Amino acid sequence: MRKGAFLRLKEFFLFISPALVTGIVLLYFIYWNMYLSLTDYSPLNPSLSIVGFSTYEKVFKDPDFISSLIRTIIWAGLLVFSGNILGILIASAIFNLGGQRLRNILTAYFIYPLSLSLVTSGIIWRWLFDNDRGINVIFRRIGLPGILWLDGSNAFWSIALVSIWVYSGLGALFYLAMFYNINKEIIESAQVDGAGALRIMMQIVIPNSKQAFIISTIFYTLFTIQMFDLPYSILFINPFTSTMVMYTYIKFAATYFAVAAASAMSIVFISALIVIPYAMYGLKKWIVRA
Amino acid sequence: MRGLTASLTIIIIGILWAIPLYVLIIGSFKNISEVLTTPIFLPSERPDFYTLLKTGSSMTDPLINTIIEVIPAAFISTILGSLSAYAFHRFTSKIKDIILIIIAIATYIPYQSIMVPLAIFIRSLGLYDTVWGVLIAFIILYIPIASLLMTIFMSSVPRDLIHAAEVDGASEFTIFRRVVLPILGPGFTSTVVFLVIQAWNNFFVPLILVRGYEKHVTLKVFSYIGQSGNLYNEMFSAALIASLPPLIIFISMGRYFIRGLLTLGMGGR
Repeated sequence: MRKGAFLRLKEFFLFISPALVTGIVLLYFIYWNMYLSLTDYSPLNPSLSIVGFSTYEKVFKDPDFISSLIRTIIWAGLLVFSGNILGILIASAIFNLGGQRLRNILTAYFIYPLSLSLVTSGIIWRWLFDNDRGINVIFRRIGLPGILWLDGSNAFWSIALVSIWVYSGLGALFYLAMFYNINKEIIESAQVDGAGALRIMMQIVIPNSKQAFIISTIFYTLFTIQMFDLPYSILFINPFTSTMVMYTYIKFAATYFAVAAASAMSIVFISALIVIPYAMYGLKKWIVRA
Repeated sequence: MRGLTASLTIIIIGILWAIPLYVLIIGSFKNISEVLTTPIFLPSERPDFYTLLKTGSSMTDPLINTIIEVIPAAFISTILGSLSAYAFHRFTSKIKDIILIIIAIATYIPYQSIMVPLAIFIRSLGLYDTVWGVLIAFIILYIPIASLLMTIFMSSVPRDLIHAAEVDGASEFTIFRRVVLPILGPGFTSTVVFLVIQAWNNFFVPLILVRGYEKHVTLKVFSYIGQSGNLYNEMFSAALIASLPPLIIFISMGRYFIRGLLTLGMGGR
């Protein structure tokens, strides 16, 4: 060893300090959030004394919060279910086409919605859902009744559909990455045995891609928990499409900071249930031990 | 047969995927009378650039402000993130795992949940309603992501090369700059591209840190929803102009962006 252990430790902390400092700042923000949520703080009541869980009680008794919580859970279920199915479908189709270059172009194509801002996607779909100039024009022309996409409780399902359009390509990417990893000899020997493409996909390729399912599910759930831009740019604040982040934002904008903090802490808590196990699991894959 | 089903699936889903982008582009070229009478699927008979030019000229300030926020945030985060990734690569200890877990949690916990402390913090720095406040917020949020991404990319750098440089008596910083960074090129590009697209498209951070609509393109695009009412050509023009930079980056450097996504999910393997 060329240098003393102490010097190496000092250099290590020098190099690592930006990541460590910002990481700790973010964790400190969460801690601050937790502290605020235990107070009754707002500009009208600028006292930082602890009032216990009464702010949480207020939040969990608020029907708006409960409905946004339930909506977020249903939305996550919808996105996980449809996003995985569409992801598998797109990935399988791409996997069965020839030519790596074509496959790469198609993969990128299905991911392009992720390169647009959600506000842009929101504006486009706002108009696709328009009754006089949107999808309904085509529906009526082919003899189908128009759908009132954004009316009342329909809006939730319509915007969930948009989120499926935005995120399914990511699932397809994860599945494809797993498909490429599968041993080619297994697939070839199945082909020699006369198995069709569908059977190979159903019995060999897809069952061997559980990891893609886990990761897509984690990401879809995290995206749903963060849902704000899309509903906000399609229908602004709307009782039928309000999510947990939107509820938090409304309370924040109205300067009910303690209430916003308590609501934000429930977002932190739910996402921590997913993020912490994922981080522990990822740790084994992210770094190669010497 | 096998190719036929696959091709059909791709074509059907592919058309559904194309509709929004198609509508966005043709809508931007419509004139006022067509906007009010034609469905959004119908291309304009007399495409005109007037709306694009009009919205474009009102978007110069937001575009410049966004560049000031996004480009430094992406590069500073990636450079500092690479330094930590290098330290992780060189150092073997239990502390490393704990720091990595902190960084991973900071990366994946939804940043919207810290809106209250973040806004109070940026206000207390006196940077509310400035591009610098947004820039600092982006850097705080993106350094952990960049560190995690670069750590994963770093794991493929051969240790022998570093040891050889070390035997030659090079300092840690020289090894990092002369040996590691050149090998890390593609990973570095992936991280920068990923962060540029993320920051460019971010709506929530500027929404809570800025007043009005001039300090980030997504805010400006959003403002057209309220003010244009029935005139979708204006909204689409604004959205198209705001989407061009990330779309061009995506089309020309898509594989770097995709590698970033893949690495965040699958961990580089």
